[in-house]
Amino acid sequence: MSWAAREAGRAVLLLWLASLAAFAVIRAMPADPAVITLLAFNQPLTDEAVAALHRQWGLDRSLVEQYAMWLVDFVSGDWRRSFRTGEPIFAEFMHRLPVSLTIGLGGLAVAIALAVPLAEAASRRPHGFCDHLLDALTLGAQAVPAFWLASLLIWLFAVEFAWLRPFSGATVERMILPIAIVAITGIGPLAAVYRAGLSEVGRSHYFMVALGKGGDPETTLARHGRRYAAMGLAAALTAEASWVIGGTAVVEIVFGLPGISQFLVESLAMRDYFVVQAYLMVAVAWMICVAMAAQIARHWLDPRERVAAP
Amino acid sequence: MSHHLPATVTRHLWLVPVIAVCAAAAAAWQPHPPEAIDLGARHLGPSLSHVLGTDHLGRDLLSRLMIGGARTMLVVALVAGLWTILGTCVGLCAACSRGLAAAALLRMAEFFAVLPSLLAAIVVTSLFGFGPLTAGYVLGLTGWGPFALLSFGLARRGLGEPYVLAARALGGSTAALMRRHVWPVMWETQLSYLGTKLGRVAIAYAALAFLGLGADAGRADWGAMMFEYRLFALDHPWLLLWPGAALIALCVVLRLAIGGDNGARVPATRGDLASTIEHDAEQERLKFTPGIARAGETAI
Repeated sequence: MSWAAREAGRAVLLLWLASLAAFAVIRAMPADPAVITLLAFNQPLTDEAVAALHRQWGLDRSLVEQYAMWLVDFVSGDWRRSFRTGEPIFAEFMHRLPVSLTIGLGGLAVAIALAVPLAEAASRRPHGFCDHLLDALTLGAQAVPAFWLASLLIWLFAVEFAWLRPFSGATVERMILPIAIVAITGIGPLAAVYRAGLSEVGRSHYFMVALGKGGDPETTLARHGRRYAAMGLAAALTAEASWVIGGTAVVEIVFGLPGISQFLVESLAMRDYFVVQAYLMVAVAWMICVAMAAQIARHWLDPRERVAAP
Repeated sequence: MSHHLPATVTRHLWLVPVIAVCAAAAAAWQPHPPEAIDLGARHLGPSLSHVLGTDHLGRDLLSRLMIGGARTMLVVALVAGLWTILGTCVGLCAACSRGLAAAALLRMAEFFAVLPSLLAAIVVTSLFGFGPLTAGYVLGLTGWGPFALLSFGLARRGLGEPYVLAARALGGSTAALMRRHVWPVMWETQLSYLGTKLGRVAIAYAALAFLGLGADAGRADWGAMMFEYRLFALDHPWLLLWPGAALIALCVVLRLAIGGDNGARVPATRGDLASTIEHDAEQERLKFTPGIARAGETAI
């Protein structure tokens, strides 16, 4: 209970700091959203029009007042309306969030499902085919830009083979390639970490002792090996998962998917204050959730953690 | 576990000045003005005058690639410099200090290690204008966390070595210990880390240009070129393939130049570097170790 209370307190403190930072960065922006909006709608750029928009959006008040009012509204679930679309931001986010999370988490799930068997096969036969494949995927993830790969896959699957309609098909059909891109870039690093954990276990004294006692390799690996390797994988996954919001921006834009990062990019150009602030808050909240989940997973996977920090 | 680094870390280091000279030369001279539009010469194939042909506005592709490469290298150099300076300073200071100061420095480094620097770069470049300088400063100032944590781990372990304790007992000052005994064993690992990450920096810059936030759309950045030319992927695939190939080649060369032979395989095979980093990270309770390996730039 005390653990949960402490974590919740830290999360609230972090979110509050993030809200301050988000507010400060966005208000430091060099352009005025009222001017941009008037220009975008071909309206005459008069002082009265600018002042009217400022009054409508509450931008004529002092910064402290604006921040306090926004914070109160935000906490009570009123995320204001977008300058650009006039729609409520909260509803828009709830509509778009599933798209981003499906791409990001779906891609990660596929990546794990493929990375674990690949890493096991690689560590069974060091310098074998799977080991080299793993190397190539890792290097590929570091050297090949995802948006370039995306263009290539669109060309291959939509144009040459005509198997998929990534822009006009059903939702499921549109999701396949984006998920594949996230998965392809994730497999290498995840498999590398799991492979590293396995080979470290293989060299460890306790593993050799267990083998020396006459345990057969499969059982020994299942009892003593996988849990240790899984700890490394969980840590790697934490890093990957906390980037799901924001990391899928490029994929969303290439495939024209209505995720929240696409919304952010559209809104930035219009200096849509409240959208950007809401986005940053959602990103930070997501990272906090992932970090908490990771801590629970670590607690569950690593007995040493339970002894050290009851 | 061996902490000995292979001598190959520095074997290809001579490539670094070569890359720098190439980038400077590409910035100073191109066969054609990279932005010169010539609608009479659209989509020309390779020729002596236009070695890689021309694009849909008749601009010389090679010239644009050269300028784009120079701009990319400027970002990479800026980021490498900022990471090295900030990361080393914060890491060493944290390793030398105790108690609250060390904790504060480490918390700060951890904060910058989990801060999504691509997201920060997306926001900042679209607000303050896109260019190699803005992008380089943002990526550099927000991404140095893992480098600082790595430096901290290396310095802490170095300071704990028996020979360093012996030197301290002989009356050596902390600064002298750092210079004589700690720095010599840490810089190669730092360099390898840079080698594994700088390619990602080049890709992050290309991704920013591809998104085209606050950018002048006609700019000859590799990412912007890929965005612009993707419309012609079917009829003129070379327009799209060349910038992509250039970017991949740059990543591989950077990796080879700074990471050494081993660099190409480091995270995969748990070469000495990877185990060193992970070992330190484990020791220093840095739970997002693989964040060091990749800092999680999902799918850019």
